[in-house]
Amino acid sequence: MSTDSQAPKALRGVGNFIDDRFHLAKTGEKNLRKVFPNHWSFMLGEIALYSFIILLVTGVFLTLWFKPSMQEIVYDGPYERLNGVLMSEAYASTLHIDFGVRGGFLVRQIHHWAALIFVASLVVHMLRVFFTGAFRKPREINWLIGVGIFTLAMIEGLFGYSLPDDLPSGMGVRILQGVMLALPLVGTYVSMFLFGGEFPGEDIISRLYMLHILLIPGILLALIAAHFMILWHQKHTQYPGTGRTNKKVVGTPMFPGFAVKAGGFFFFVFAVTVGLSAFVQINPIHLFGPFTPTSITSGLQPDWYMGFMEGSLRIFPNWLDFQIFGYAVPIGVLVPGLVVPGLIFGGLGAWPFIERWITGDHRAHNVADRPRNAPVRTGVGVAGIVFYGLLWLAGSNDILSHTFSISLYWTTYFFRVAVIVGPIIGFIVAKRICLGLQRRDRETLEHGYESGTIQQLPSGEFIEVHKESSADTVHVLESKEEVDRIDAETISSIEAATDANGVEAPAARGLKGRLRAKLAHWYTKDNVSFEGVEAHTGHHLHHGAAEEKEPAQTH
Amino acid sequence: MKWITARRRHPLAGYVVVLLALAVFGVGYAALAPNAERAEAQVLAAQSSGPEEGAVDVSEGRDIWNRSCASCHGLNGGGSGNAPDITTAGGAAIDFQVSTGRMPSSNPDAQMPRKYPAFSRSEIDNLIAFYEQEIGKGPAVPVDVPGDAPLREDFESEEAYEKANEEYKAEYDAYIAGADDVEAGMKLYLANCAHCHSWSGAGGGLTGGHWAPELTDATPRQIYEAMVTGPGQMPVFNDLAINPDDKQELIAYVKDLQAEPDAGGPFALNRVGQVAEGLIGWTVGLTLIIACAIWITAKQRAHD
Repeated sequence: MSTDSQAPKALRGVGNFIDDRFHLAKTGEKNLRKVFPNHWSFMLGEIALYSFIILLVTGVFLTLWFKPSMQEIVYDGPYERLNGVLMSEAYASTLHIDFGVRGGFLVRQIHHWAALIFVASLVVHMLRVFFTGAFRKPREINWLIGVGIFTLAMIEGLFGYSLPDDLPSGMGVRILQGVMLALPLVGTYVSMFLFGGEFPGEDIISRLYMLHILLIPGILLALIAAHFMILWHQKHTQYPGTGRTNKKVVGTPMFPGFAVKAGGFFFFVFAVTVGLSAFVQINPIHLFGPFTPTSITSGLQPDWYMGFMEGSLRIFPNWLDFQIFGYAVPIGVLVPGLVVPGLIFGGLGAWPFIERWITGDHRAHNVADRPRNAPVRTGVGVAGIVFYGLLWLAGSNDILSHTFSISLYWTTYFFRVAVIVGPIIGFIVAKRICLGLQRRDRETLEHGYESGTIQQLPSGEFIEVHKESSADTVHVLESKEEVDRIDAETISSIEAATDANGVEAPAARGLKGRLRAKLAHWYTKDNVSFEGVEAHTGHHLHHGAAEEKEPAQTH
Repeated sequence: MKWITARRRHPLAGYVVVLLALAVFGVGYAALAPNAERAEAQVLAAQSSGPEEGAVDVSEGRDIWNRSCASCHGLNGGGSGNAPDITTAGGAAIDFQVSTGRMPSSNPDAQMPRKYPAFSRSEIDNLIAFYEQEIGKGPAVPVDVPGDAPLREDFESEEAYEKANEEYKAEYDAYIAGADDVEAGMKLYLANCAHCHSWSGAGGGLTGGHWAPELTDATPRQIYEAMVTGPGQMPVFNDLAINPDDKQELIAYVKDLQAEPDAGGPFALNRVGQVAEGLIGWTVGLTLIIACAIWITAKQRAHD
């Protein structure tokens, strides 16, 4: 195949036609050659994009029949079990989608499964970005947009869940209203405003419908577009390796390699979603029955992404509730319903700036950190996962209690303690594992890898032969950046640092400066230094050499 | 041996060993542990004399009472330190507790799960006859509500069993079909029962280490009896609070819902709902997709 082969004449004609009018050839070529890194963890965000597309398409299908109306009607339709039952038109039209529309049941299940996978893929994508430090300069804004997408996706899911007006829908909306009512001063007004009167009123479904199919998807779409444009402009981060630097991306070009891969991946995501929808029943609204304000049931949860909210509401004690001038201030709802999610999402959004402030690292980073090389960040991330995961589990405490025959009270007591102790343990364990891996990396770098071959020396001693690591491995191991350790002496030296006129260094002044110094010490104190370590220079015959040479600055 | 030696350092060897160990323990446990059928066989073996047809035998009822009930509930049903006074419980309570296998209890301090009953139908009838004659009074067994399906071993011949079975089925269907107001049944169930037994009748956790049992195996008569006697933590819904017709609507709603096929797919996740859906979404859905991502990027990585 010759390299200078031309495109077929027909294609050339079309290409010239377009290019003459839009002058796309240059931009097109540049963008088609855009390079994408080859690692599976860079595909996680794509799962979110693809399931969002599936959600849009199936959502449009569902709107053709769904009636967002709370008008009460007596059901008379193909689902015989509920014939003669009084229900809202929203619920009746959902039954119609399930049983009256060809393929409607499948599409509704695809929509629901895709929603679960959408939010789940957002989480794993976000974790990848967090643990590899891909949120660092210059990508903080894109990280913030991502946090916004995640938050909106949750709310979007909650509202969609509420639309069919079945039993769990109504219960979810009731909890939402409860949290709104807990707001001091404005709570009742906010609730009355949203519901157009007392709960449940007659407006809530049509209002949630507008939010669910117009406003929030519109914002999501805009944010996703912005996310992609920024990504396109800034390019991906990439893992360290041969030839990969802060200025050069290694990977597959957009066209044809990556486009084929991504296209195929879309169909795989679609196949898994449809496969689940065809075989696994999800949210069987016809079994639940319509919502009435007197109905209540155990064993119902929100969809998984709201589980942590449910959990924090379930385990937060009511000891702190108080009354002021006859008005109740339900701390037991206010804190778990608003403060806990505020902490989680606020913490996510603020972390890049907090980390930059602590470390003072204002450089741009295009090569991803290996999680082990940022032990404190990794520890914080694991603590966050543990905190979120325990709250999430606590949201299903009745199912756990019933399934595993555990006393319900004990699950609550356990989670109350565990959400505080668990993240601390998670932090310590993750950080220690990171430091252990760093030590192993240094040893591998210095000595090569253990080959599994045992040799006996003439003296009778047995040794294991180490072999040299590949150039790529060496490159990856050497990517660890030296961390300037800011310890107590540095702090005091900063504090004592005065210029010729006796003025303190501005960075160290005041409460904020000292706090920053303390945090910087905490952030950098534990680190395995690779300083002066040259690849494969270790004493090959002496296994314990690393320990002897180890500088005593790890504690 | 050589075959194993050659393969024991294979990367998958560890997984194989774990899988084998799990299989050995799983199969071994299933083979050795007591299960329902074996327990049934033991119970049947213990019943040396076959049940008698027809009239109740109060003296056998007294026998059972003295052997299996009196040690805790007292000879006169007045109760003791570890069992309540049951002189006002009524035949319905006796039938509910014994026919669901909850009584006689092996541990008076714990809530008993449903299990295979220790006594046959006729023995339970005898016990109830004795109870009503000599021990106490209370809600009677609702005999017009269908109870247990007939058991093969209670009948001499196959035909007799099949005939009884058909009669029972007709009675059962007539009872369920006799309820014609789904809305009433649903509202009663969702307002009074679902907050413990859950919307699907799968049961749920309660406070203080108790739980609300699942209603799947309960017969209409047992559900009725539970409502009128309020076993354990359950409140009493007597015939004044929910009249017998409404009880029929309610029971028919539960049984109808239970018999309703899962239209959404062959895997209904036990109707556990969102917790199970979330678990499947992560463990099957997302995991498969990520596995695919690893797959389609793996080949390329080997080349660069």
